[in-house]
Amino acid sequence: MAGILTAARPGRGQLALLSVAGTAIFFGLWQILAISGLVSKFVLPSPTEVITAGLTMVVEPFAGNTIQGHVIASFGRWAMGFALAAGIGIPLGLAMGYWRVLDAMVSPIFEAYRYIAPLAWVPFAALWFGTGIGGPVMVIFTGAFAPCVLNAYRGAHLVERHLIEAARTLGAGSLRVMAEVLLPGALPSVVSGLRVGAGLGWQSLIGAELIVVSSGIGYVLVQGQSNLAPEIVIAAMLAVGLTGLLIDIALRFAESRIRRRWGQTA
Amino acid sequence: MKARTLIGLATVLVLLLGWYVATDLGGLIDRQRFPSPSDIVAAGSQIVSRGYAGGTLLTQALYSLRLVVLGFLVAAVTGVPLGLMMGLSRRFEALVNPAFLLVRPIPPLAWIPLAIVWLGLADGAKILVIWFAAFVPAVINSHTGIRNVDQTLVAAGRVHGASAAQIVWEVLIPGAMPMIFTGLRLSLQASWTTLVAAELVGAVFGLGKVLSTAYRDIYPAMIAVGMITVAVLGALTTKILEIIERRVIRWREY
Amino acid sequence: MSEIVFEGISKVFPRGGAAFTALSDVSLGIPDKQFLAIVGPSGCGKTTLLRMAAGLEAPSSGIVRVGGRPVNGPGADRAVVFQQFALFPWKTVRENIAFGLKCKGMPRAKRDELALHYLELMGMSGTEDNYPHQLSGGMQQRVAIARSYAIEPQVLLMDEPFGSLDAQTRTLMQEELIRISRVNPRTVLFITHGVEEAVYLADRVVVLTRSPGRITEIIDVRPVREAEGWDRLASEEALEMPGFGHLRARIWRLLRQEMQAPSTDQT
Repeated sequence: MAGILTAARPGRGQLALLSVAGTAIFFGLWQILAISGLVSKFVLPSPTEVITAGLTMVVEPFAGNTIQGHVIASFGRWAMGFALAAGIGIPLGLAMGYWRVLDAMVSPIFEAYRYIAPLAWVPFAALWFGTGIGGPVMVIFTGAFAPCVLNAYRGAHLVERHLIEAARTLGAGSLRVMAEVLLPGALPSVVSGLRVGAGLGWQSLIGAELIVVSSGIGYVLVQGQSNLAPEIVIAAMLAVGLTGLLIDIALRFAESRIRRRWGQTA
Repeated sequence: MKARTLIGLATVLVLLLGWYVATDLGGLIDRQRFPSPSDIVAAGSQIVSRGYAGGTLLTQALYSLRLVVLGFLVAAVTGVPLGLMMGLSRRFEALVNPAFLLVRPIPPLAWIPLAIVWLGLADGAKILVIWFAAFVPAVINSHTGIRNVDQTLVAAGRVHGASAAQIVWEVLIPGAMPMIFTGLRLSLQASWTTLVAAELVGAVFGLGKVLSTAYRDIYPAMIAVGMITVAVLGALTTKILEIIERRVIRWREY
Repeated sequence: MSEIVFEGISKVFPRGGAAFTALSDVSLGIPDKQFLAIVGPSGCGKTTLLRMAAGLEAPSSGIVRVGGRPVNGPGADRAVVFQQFALFPWKTVRENIAFGLKCKGMPRAKRDELALHYLELMGMSGTEDNYPHQLSGGMQQRVAIARSYAIEPQVLLMDEPFGSLDAQTRTLMQEELIRISRVNPRTVLFITHGVEEAVYLADRVVVLTRSPGRITEIIDVRPVREAEGWDRLASEEALEMPGFGHLRARIWRLLRQEMQAPSTDQT
């Protein structure tokens, strides 16, 4: 067991080689298993079949749209739900961090809400919004809301008391303190919360699309499943994962930019 | 009683009162879509005594709870050691990482259709998906936990002549425990979320079945009962995990 | 007029079951434009007094008045310099110094100009676009002082402002503070652990007891300072003057008695 036990770290080249080997082994085993016929073609398609299916869907519509069309439809819903969650959640979290009374009022309700799995809201969402866009947006909102509030709240608490006191002794009123001290001070935590909320929102969206099927990449998953076409299912899964990854990378990038700009080298 | 608790209670009471007035008394809200307190109580007693969607609340809840616990335990038993090994050996990490990175961004729920293709609508599919959802946080947090152990402590161990195995068992793993438990908490949360989703997609029995049947029957009060049960069970299991954590990590101040 | 008056101030902190009396019936007056230092053992309530003058804490009994009016909360007439500097890490030096002016509603051009003026006063021109984390401790504290001066407060409240600095920087900052105080005198309440610092900077020094905090003695430094002409000397020379030594020893003796005596608080 080398690694952190000894002071010597394995060389970069060696690690890179192992990574390549790992990737090769993974895909190799997969391909062999699929081709060997040990497992039915309806259960495990080979990597090549998956890629073919994926590329085909880029050109030919499946279940109503090309694969990128579906992804864009899903992304649009996600963006709306996420914007709503952030737009309401962050100010709420900051305000709760600043005014104890508000915190005392809202906390019990928030704690109760937190324990409800976001997808448990799907039946109500479907009942209230039918197949309209409100349903998925609501589910995404419930998924993304909690991290936004919590991180804004924690961030506000992390702001040193002295900074708030300094602002007040310089003549700042409550609103100015929130805007010019709490928000910038909490920003790293807020952005972190946005990242988590984005991920949870994306997951909730996929879940919602699985259940209340209309369009979008989740719909592709379900259609692939009912057509017993696992190569489509896996291709769609990879598309979902890739989009989620890109969203996360974009937010991580924004996070590091903000950390540097606000002068806190993290 | 502290002011904070009082204010919280007061707010909840005011909201409950408003809800009661708006629904039962004033009829301001369409009860086809939004249940009143009395509706929920009625639905609750129905499912507890006579049952709904194939079973009483107790049987449905236990059924779902069983799936969650199974999936969670398998994930913990597979994920934590994997994460620890990845943290201990950079070589192992380099080998395993590519596969992990490929699979990680895929939301657990996206596995549901594939799991159904592989294992049908039976329990196995659900446990598989729950396992996957709980697996990822357990791995990541165990990995981070062991990497984050203060290197000064490791140095202290080596200076005292500890062997590699001793350092692992006496310094690294205990040091990583807090983060391991954070990962387990996240795993538990993920387990419940995934269970609800999986059962909503296709279930024969369980709380998710209650929810989807209630939706189809346009019975919002029963939906609410289902949601409340899920929340309560989630809170209970989290509390139990907390108690276990306190037992295991006695050296921390709480 | 900007005198500070503490009338019969008591402060009790509830600590679980037992109460902790930080201050007990303290009455003190700081006339307009006087520099008053408070020394005392740790936890004796000297910071609490300052925070009450700042409006960040309220007394359990008694009244604090500044300029004749009772203190109700923080405000720009009583600037505070904190031990931890409390500079806004996300604002540049210029923006930090200009903050108080922004709260007053001053237009940007004017407040930037004033900020640069005070920066120059502190001998730090050229750093206006830096962020606090890019500056050393001494420089950060100078920015904090400039920020307080910029709002032209009636009263300056300094809570162990040089406590986080290394010994050499501290000496330089003390000389700096004397310099600007002569140029721009105002009422100052200065809290410190350092006896030498107190004697060097202040017009009068108040020695506070341990909990429950009361005034042991108030020592007037001015006659000795004027007689020996400290202002014309460098700090290390002033420290060597006999009058300085006597004052320092006297205060130390008082403090030592305080530190060795058992606390009369019931905690």
